[in-house]
Amino acid sequence: MNRLGAHWRYAGLGALILVCLGLLVIAAANIIRIERQMQISATQNMTWIFGQTQIEALSLSAALSSDASSSEVLLRYDLLVSRLNLMRDGPQWRFLSEAGLAEGLMGWRDGLLRLDPAEGGDTAALKAHVSALTRALRQKASQVMSREWQVQSERLDELRKLHLLALAAIIGALISGAALAVLLVDRERRLMRARVDRLRAERLQRDLNRERAASEGYRRFADLIAHQVRTPLAVIDSAMHRLTRSGKPPTPEVIRAKADVSRQAVARLIRLTDTALLMARVDRGAVAPALACHDLDRIAATAIEDLQAGRRVTLRTGNRPVTAICDPVLTSEILANLLGNALLYSPTDSEIDVRPLFSGDMAMCDVCDQGSGMTPEELARAFDNFARGARHRDLPGSGLGLPLARHLARLQGGDLTLKAREGGGLIARLSLPGKVVT
Amino acid sequence: MIVLKRLLFGSVLMALGASGAVAQEVLLTLTGAVADGEVKLTRADLDALEWHEIATSTSVTDGQPVFRGVLMRDILDRAQASGDTVTARALNDYVIEIPMDDFHEFDVIAALYMDGIALTPRDKGPVWIVYPRDDHSVLADIRYDMRWVWQLSALHVQ
Repeated sequence: MNRLGAHWRYAGLGALILVCLGLLVIAAANIIRIERQMQISATQNMTWIFGQTQIEALSLSAALSSDASSSEVLLRYDLLVSRLNLMRDGPQWRFLSEAGLAEGLMGWRDGLLRLDPAEGGDTAALKAHVSALTRALRQKASQVMSREWQVQSERLDELRKLHLLALAAIIGALISGAALAVLLVDRERRLMRARVDRLRAERLQRDLNRERAASEGYRRFADLIAHQVRTPLAVIDSAMHRLTRSGKPPTPEVIRAKADVSRQAVARLIRLTDTALLMARVDRGAVAPALACHDLDRIAATAIEDLQAGRRVTLRTGNRPVTAICDPVLTSEILANLLGNALLYSPTDSEIDVRPLFSGDMAMCDVCDQGSGMTPEELARAFDNFARGARHRDLPGSGLGLPLARHLARLQGGDLTLKAREGGGLIARLSLPGKVVT
Repeated sequence: MIVLKRLLFGSVLMALGASGAVAQEVLLTLTGAVADGEVKLTRADLDALEWHEIATSTSVTDGQPVFRGVLMRDILDRAQASGDTVTARALNDYVIEIPMDDFHEFDVIAALYMDGIALTPRDKGPVWIVYPRDDHSVLADIRYDMRWVWQLSALHVQ
């Protein structure tokens, strides 16, 4: 039904366009015909020609009556003959024939030529002939005029007809053009509505995806609680159980060992809650970085010292200090996080390099480990909240470290990216707005 | 359309049997801004100029007659005419002003022959101003048709 409707709509549009163009062509053709007919030709000046002939006949009569010189008579005679000859020429003769006025005219001319004064024609007979001709011409003159006006009127009628035709065609074209415009506007409106519908559907889909991501986050959070909170609690519970077991009281060594285990478990829990709290503050926008110019090499060195893992981690500084515009507390937090990950996920006998450097106008700090690295899927999801590599489920961690580190980097106008290291391992690159010290 | 023909017209006239008296008959009188205030041109004078032919339709005849004669601008040069307008007068006292530019813009001729037959006062002669009407569409207009003076007898230059 819809496709058939579309077909008909297209056919209708095509027909309208054809009608519109066709009418315009008709109008143009008529206007061209009008333009061609707008010329005045000398043939339409028959009244004047006829009048001139009459004047020449009268002039000859006058010359014959007033004993004018023979050369004057000859000139007047020649002129009268020339006017009669002119009437005999194509267009004039056709006009006179159509008006029914041609009859007899050439008889007058022949009679005149028989009395040619240059060849000694009878002057008296010539005078009588010219007088008669003058009368005959006078009778026909009004008919010539009325015929001329009739021809002119017919021509004007024809022009008016062409004009009306052109006008009708233009009005028709206007109407079909208006219909065309209405159809096109309607089409445009439909298209617009379809576009709005599509946008609304896309927005719905986006909302749905966000909802899904949120519920996925809650699921992962529950997972995290199960693994990362329950494990230290279980450790503490087991220690307490050992200390309060009936029978022989525990030796001071055992008590100290159990207390150490319990304190480590508590420390893990505190770190976990600290991270979660910081993340929550970042999410709320409650963390305001105190940006200033700082030596990235020194921040990295301090972070390495704080971890107390100096032997495995090597700081490789370049030949000039790398200065960044950053918040040293937040930057330390990021580097501690990256170093913690590198230590946790790479073999205990492998080296970890920390390389502060400049790249363009950005200050960088690469943390390179030689662990098992990440699969492309893990890389793609590394910055999702609560995402943890499937292989490391049982290692301690909140799944919030990398997302938090990236948040903190971006808060300072920088970024955090991960990429696989050639020959195995991972390179975590922190970039911050740099400042070249000159 | 315009065929240049340089003819020694005197000898042609002799061949036609025309007498010396015909050759000496004054056809055109130029007055006004011309050499010595007045120049009379005889048939022999016109014969001495370069001849041109135009085949063109006219408003008062059928078909495309071939006109033969001399260029109007050559006649005016011959009389050393200088001015902007030429007032043409015919035997029947028909008078019309023609801008001088017409003669330089178009090859307007003073025709003496139509289809090989000499024009006479009993027709539209002896001289008929002919425009190359078919070569320039602008000339097919009543405003130019009026300048086709037949039975031309005098030119007054201003």
